[in-house]
Parts: sequence; structure tokens; C-alpha cells
Amino acid sequence: MSDQTGPGTPGPAGSGGGDQPGDSAQERVHYAGYQGEPADKSDQDSMSSIFKRAKHPVDTSGAPAGGSGISAGGPDVPAGTSDGPEALGTPPHQTDSTRDPETTVIRAGDAGVAQPTYGERAGGGGGVTVRPPRAEDVDRRAERRAERLIAFWFLISVVGTVGFVITNFVGDKHKAYYTPSLGSALGLAVGGLGIGMILWAKRLMPHEQAVQERHEFTSSKEDIAVTEAEIAAGFADTGLARFPLLRRTLLGAGTVLGGLIVVPLLNLTNSKPGKKLDHTSWVKGARLVTEDGRLVKLGDISIGGIETVFPAIPVTESDGTTTYKPKMDLHAKADSTTILIRLPPGVDRPRKGRENWSIDGHVAYSKICSHAGCPVSLYEQQTHHLLCPCHQSVFDVLDGCRAIFGPASRSLPQLAITADDDGFLYARNGDYDEPVGAAFWERS
Amino acid sequence: MTTASPPEFVKRPTPVRKANRAIDERFGTQAGLRRNLNKVFPDHWSFMIGEIALYSFIVLLLTGIYLTLFFDPSNTEVIYDGSYVPLKGVEMSRAYASTLDISFDTRAGLVFRQIHHWAALVFVASIVVHLFRVFFTGAFRKPRETNWLIGVGLLILAILEGFAGYSLPDDLLSGTGLRIAASIAQSIPIIGTWASFLVFNGEFPGENFLPRLYVIHILLVPGVLLALIGAHMGILWHQKHTDFPGPGKTEHNVVGHRVFPVFAVKSGGFFMMVFALLALLGGLAQINPIWMFGPYDPANVSSASQPDWYIGFLDGSTRLMPPWEFRGLGHTVPAVFWPTAVLPGILFTLLALYPFLEARFTGDTKSYNLLQRPREAPTRTALGAMSISFYLVLLISGGNDVIAKTFSISLNAMTWAGRIGLIIVPPIAYAITKKICLNLQAKDAEVEHHGIETGIIRQLPSGEFVEDHRPKPTPVPDHPQVPTDRFALPAANGHGDGHGKGLARRAGKAVSGFFVEEKETGPGGPSTPVGGGKH
Repeated sequence: MSDQTGPGTPGPAGSGGGDQPGDSAQERVHYAGYQGEPADKSDQDSMSSIFKRAKHPVDTSGAPAGGSGISAGGPDVPAGTSDGPEALGTPPHQTDSTRDPETTVIRAGDAGVAQPTYGERAGGGGGVTVRPPRAEDVDRRAERRAERLIAFWFLISVVGTVGFVITNFVGDKHKAYYTPSLGSALGLAVGGLGIGMILWAKRLMPHEQAVQERHEFTSSKEDIAVTEAEIAAGFADTGLARFPLLRRTLLGAGTVLGGLIVVPLLNLTNSKPGKKLDHTSWVKGARLVTEDGRLVKLGDISIGGIETVFPAIPVTESDGTTTYKPKMDLHAKADSTTILIRLPPGVDRPRKGRENWSIDGHVAYSKICSHAGCPVSLYEQQTHHLLCPCHQSVFDVLDGCRAIFGPASRSLPQLAITADDDGFLYARNGDYDEPVGAAFWERS
Repeated sequence: MTTASPPEFVKRPTPVRKANRAIDERFGTQAGLRRNLNKVFPDHWSFMIGEIALYSFIVLLLTGIYLTLFFDPSNTEVIYDGSYVPLKGVEMSRAYASTLDISFDTRAGLVFRQIHHWAALVFVASIVVHLFRVFFTGAFRKPRETNWLIGVGLLILAILEGFAGYSLPDDLLSGTGLRIAASIAQSIPIIGTWASFLVFNGEFPGENFLPRLYVIHILLVPGVLLALIGAHMGILWHQKHTDFPGPGKTEHNVVGHRVFPVFAVKSGGFFMMVFALLALLGGLAQINPIWMFGPYDPANVSSASQPDWYIGFLDGSTRLMPPWEFRGLGHTVPAVFWPTAVLPGILFTLLALYPFLEARFTGDTKSYNLLQRPREAPTRTALGAMSISFYLVLLISGGNDVIAKTFSISLNAMTWAGRIGLIIVPPIAYAITKKICLNLQAKDAEVEHHGIETGIIRQLPSGEFVEDHRPKPTPVPDHPQVPTDRFALPAANGHGDGHGKGLARRAGKAVSGFFVEEKETGPGGPSTPVGGGKH
């Protein structure tokens, strides 16, 4: 990366080489002096900052230095050209030049004064140039026109504000026009003011180029030395260097106290992870229930059909009968949601040991994606692929819901199901035999 | 030429002066006030991008306060009974129900909600574009590395804040995003499970998680954002703004407008314009219509689930990640950990360290106040283009399902294109950008030495054909860089300003007049003020 500075760049003083005096020691002294040396201060008070700047021309443009130009920040133009008088005839508006030499303001000349062009003016050197006067500067009627235009936009703003208030209180908030009208009215209210303000600054405020000096941030060597010495003396006063026991115990106490931050962090939950991620709400004998509360029986789903199911927990009532209580709160849904698919006969290729986990072509897999926990909700009937819409992981239902594409690396866990004598499907082994959803550190 | 004598002390002050004196008697403000009012800010359009970020943040605060008055960040389940008929009788959290109420039953609720959302999108976008500006012009160089670091911090916080914000309504889309966030937290080695449980207060979806998220969104992150923005502005104020090289501009001065009155009025107007644009967007362009998504349900998801744009690159990296899960010794490092936790960690670390890396490898430890054009630092510019292309591949991949569907491309092909593109596009971008920069440099050098081609071919008496060159015009204040190589040729219609005929000509003139106010007839030629011909 040695080629950071290209040709034609007015590089920083001193870096560009060429015929520039560069960031010489003399300049540094000058800028350091600016920061408040008494001698320089009185100098500032006694003379206009312009002369000061002329005394210390700083220019990066490669123009011949030493011109008598008055432009701030650099030699402006060679004396004797037509724009010399222009600049001179335009007393720089130094609103406070005698007291604040940092900022110098240059303005275009009075109306009617012939203005030199950019080219001529800037041709002599790298001085600050001001724009030629606008129509508003030379033509009173143009000025009035600009004023009227600005006033028009301010009035538009008032119209917008009134419109907003009326729409807000009188408008019917259930009607389609309500929100668009409020937005447009507010847009007019603030936008009208904004356009008016920008026009005001551009058209009616005087054109000026203000030049402000920058300070070096580096302090003087004396300052640094004195400050460092004071801090060192203060540190010595604390005795931290002399009393090692004090130092070590302070450090220790601070560290231990800092460790206290762990306490509120750990208090954030009373629910320890434990084995919670390994389990879902499925229990042995839980029936499969759809979202609208219907217990799923054999034959409810046609071949190629798909159904999202939840556990219906068997509860033995006092009279000995068994009822099934659907478990569909958010927590149950977050890990127990299961997808039930009826495959055509003979296409399923069950894994070893899972041959009887399905019944009559019905297979049940966790709907919670093994990648990042989204519900795997798109089923391609032709290919028997399940697609997760979040990150496009694809699972092959026929191959035990193996992840075949995308960022998921684990198969969807399978729920062993069978049917009872009445044809109701239920979980025959209880819960999934592996954690559902996204993987985690403790998982093997 | 005389310098104006100091203004006299007015003995019978106006109320404003009275107030000024009352304050001065207590705090001694005059010198400091004058110094700050006379502070100079340089003019360049690219310096306004950061202002857009600041102003959209103010709009976020204003609209956000309004929304907090009506929003109920509660996980408690209720049956909806508001005026949005399709969801009547549906069970949902109070957070979602109150968001529906804001949208349908609160005066000016929806418009402020939508302004808030649009402002968030614009906030992050303008931070990113501002970052590009600072990067490609070398504004981050010494002495401004601290502000670069703060800026990177602001970007990260803005993304977090945006994510927390759009997760609050507890709709189907945002809930799905939170689920993914929980899975990401869970994927961190060793501490992941605990981290997820601590953040969500138990196994996802946790207990009373929304109030936590709410405090993060309306107090913690905005507080830090506000403090960092204050520091960012304070440092900018103290160090003074950088500027492009131009007539009279040196490393030791700032040329432009003073804070009072021009810069203040212009900036105030610009704030109004940003606010107005956001208001129009909020009123006219629907954003995040949560009533169409429905309440969060872990068992459901809508297809083409897309996060807000600033999360898109993480979504893309997650989609492109191959299924590489590390298992061994009874532990797992899930595939989702690398693209969502490690990758942004590396990217933001590199971003934050860039100024220091560049200074180290170039050995350039000087302070700079003048900016560079991108072509002047070809390696840096090429690195930037490389990073942006890397980011864009990720961002596009974040919507690869939408693209695949819209253009009937195979989703697998899109994923593979993204995986391969992520590796081969950035180096290509690097090489091309560097070449362009070097060629532009060469061209600049040629213009510098030989002048600008005029397009006028002359035959010399010897029979040789030569093209006329004119010397490079001197830059003007408003266009410190141009014109360098653009040369106005006489237009065919004889008007000579290249603006066509009739209405089109007048419209063209008006638009360019709006931008530059004064028309030049040509570089170096006579300049006539608008309307100035009358006198």
C-alpha cells in the first residue's frame, strides 16, 4: 500500500515534496505559538489576522508563494492583476477578527462591481475564491422574488401542519386515507419549512467563504514534560509503588468485586438448562392432535397428505377413563411440533431399528428444523422433500429426513408412532430419542 | 482597507441581549460562544450523509417516544378484540395486540409506527454509506481513528437496536427471527446453552422475554447510542471536519461556512427535509404490516421470511454455509455458529482495526486533514470494493429464495452461485478496482501534463494530424475536483451548453441551475450570474 498518494494530489504540506517549504519547524513553532503564547497573543490583538496569515502563507497547491494576496489560508493572487482590487475592495467581513483571529470571512463584492471570473481569479494561485454575486445580490427584484418564494414554502408548511391536525382529529382512523394523509401532511409541514430554510440560506444569506485555522493537537514538549512529571509525582504520593501488599490486595479486591457482575447475569433465569433441551412434551401413548383439536386417525390423511400435529397427553380421570389433553401452549409448540406425512406404500426406506416406527405409510418427524429451529413447513409431494423456508435446508423424507442440501447437517428426529384399535395414532415409544431443533454444545 | 472597530457595548439591551448577559454573568460564555458560532464547516455533499444518520436518529427518538406511550411489551396471552376484523378472537400476546391497536385504533399510531420503521432502515443505511465515504476518502486516518472506532461501535449498536425493535411486536416474522437468534446463542461453544437460557429466561420462547427486549430497545442501547453519538460529534467538533483539497485549502485550515448563521440554517433545513422524507415514506409506503403476518406461533412460518435489510447479510451467510458441524468428544459445534457469530466477529474486528492496519503496513503515521480521492489510494479503494462485493454476495444470498422464485432459477443453483461467488467475486473486484484507480491516476497525470483533449483535430502544414489540448482549468470552490477532464464541446443546437432544445433545454438548465446556481459558459470563459444580464 505504498501508492496511497497519487499524482496531482495537493498532499499535506511537507509530504508532497516539490517546491513547497513543507511542514517546517518554523511553521510548527508558528502553530504552537497560536495556542496561547503571550507574545503571539498580543500580536494577534494588535493586528488583523489577515496580515498574520499573509506573514505565514501556507499553500499546498504549488503556486508561487509570497504574493501580496490577502486571501486567508494561502497566497491568493499575484499583485497587479484585476482581481487584486476586487478582493481588496471587498473588506472581508471579519465579524470579530480583532478578537478571534481563527476565523476569517471573505465575501463577494458589492453589487455592480465587475467580478472577475473563477478562472482568472483562481489562476494566480490557490487562494480561497468566492462565488460571483447571485441575481439576488445585484437585483432588488430578484431578492424580493426569492423572499416571496421562501415565504411560500413557509406557508406550505403551515398548510401541512393544519392538515395534519385536522386529519388527526376529524379524520376517520379506520379509513384508508387516514395514514397516507397524515404522512403527507406531516411531510409538507416539515418539508415546507426545510425547503424554505435551505432556500433562505442559499438565496438570501450572503455568500461567504469562511476560513478557520486548525490547531496542531500535539502539545508542546514542555507541556508534556510538566504534565507527565505531575502525574508521576501524584502516583508516587499514592504509595502504590512502595507498598506492594497494598497494591496487590487492591488489585485482588478490585478483581473479585468485578467478578460480581456474574451474579446479576446468572440471576437472569431460574430455569437452568439441565437436560431441558433433550426433551419435548411427547409422552408414551400421547395421541396426535391437529391444531384445531382433532385427534388424528388412520385414514384422515390421504396419500401424499401432510398434517402438523401436537401431543394430546393422556390423563386418567377419577372415574378411570382416559381423556386426551392437547398440549399446544407456546413452549410445547416450540419443541413438540411434529409433521405427519402419509407416504405412498413401499417408498419409505426406514433406518435400521426404526422399521416399525411408522404405520400404514404414516411417518412423523419433528417440524423444528435441526439447523436453526424454524418450522420446516414446505413439503414437495413429488420428491418427498421437506424444505425449511428460513435457510433453505432440504430434508429427504424417504431417507429418514436426512439433510440433503443447505446448512442443516442433522436429520430431523423421527417420532415413533403407531395406531390403537380405534385407529387413533399415538406415540408408541414416548418422546423423541434425540434432542429436537438446533444443535448445542452439550449435544453429542 | 480598515478593520472595523470593536462594536460598542449597548447600554439598553433587548431581551435577547439581557438573557445573554444574564447567562454570561453566571457562566462566562462569550468567548466560547463566539468561538463556536464562528466555527467553520466545509461544504461537500458527501459530508451530509452522516447528518442523515444523525437526523434519522432524532426522528427515531421522537417517534419512538410516541410509540412507547401505547405499546405494552408483555408476553401475556389475550384474545384480540380490536377493530382489525380478520384477527378478532385470535389468541395473541399483549405485545402483538397493542401493536395492532397502535396500527388501527390509535390516532396517528400507524403513521408514527411506519415512520419509526423507515427511520430505522434509513438510519442504518446512512451509517453504512457514511462509513463508505469515510473509508474511501481516508477520513479515518490519524488523528481521527477514535471516531472511526466509535463509528463502528455505532454501526453494530444500530444493527442490534434495529433487530431488537422489529422483534418487539411479537408477530410471526419477528418471532421466527428470535427463534433463530436463540439457536445462534445456543450454538456458542461451552456457554451457548446457558447464554440462551439466561437471555430468554429459560428454554425458548422463555418466560417474560419481551419486557427484557423492551428495556434493551428503549433504554440500554439508545442510551449507549446517544452517548456515543455525543462523543462522535464532540470529537468531530474538537478535531474539526476534514475537507477535500481545493483552492486555498490546506492541511492547516478549514474553508466553508460558519456555524452561525448559514450552516445552522442549512443543517436545520436539511433535518426538516430528512424528517419530511421519512414522514412521506411512513405515510405512503407500507412497511412491516404485522397484521398480515399474524401472531407468533413456533409451529408456523411464512415462506420468504426476510429480515430487515441490515440483518440480510447474516441471513445470507447462514444460507451459504455448508453443513459443517463439528462433533467429537461428546460435544458439538453447530454449523450455524460460524456464519452468524464468528463471521460478523471477524468482519467487524477487521473493520474496526483498519485504520491501524493501514497505518502499520504503509508506515504512514502522519496526521491528515485533507481527504483523498479514492483513486489516490488504489490499494485501499480496492480493498473497500472487495469488502463491499463480499458483503453484497452475502446480502443477495439472504434473499436467494425470493430471487430464485422471481426469476425461476433453481434455489440450489442460487445457493451454489453464492458459495462460489463469495470466494471468487471479491478478488475480482479487488483487481478491477485497483486497475481502474491506477488508470485514472495515469489519466490525471496526463491531463496535468498535456491538458484536456478538445476533440478538435487539426492538420499541420506537414500533413500530420494533431488533436488540440487545452490546459486543465483551475478548480472552483464548489467543485474542488471537477472539471478536470470534462470539457464542454459546442452543442449541435448552437446554444453551447449541451442542454438540448425547447422545454427540455429549459428544464435541463433549471435543474443544473438548482445544483450550481450559476452557469458557467465554459471553463475559463466569462461567467454570468443568473439574471445578471439585465443590468
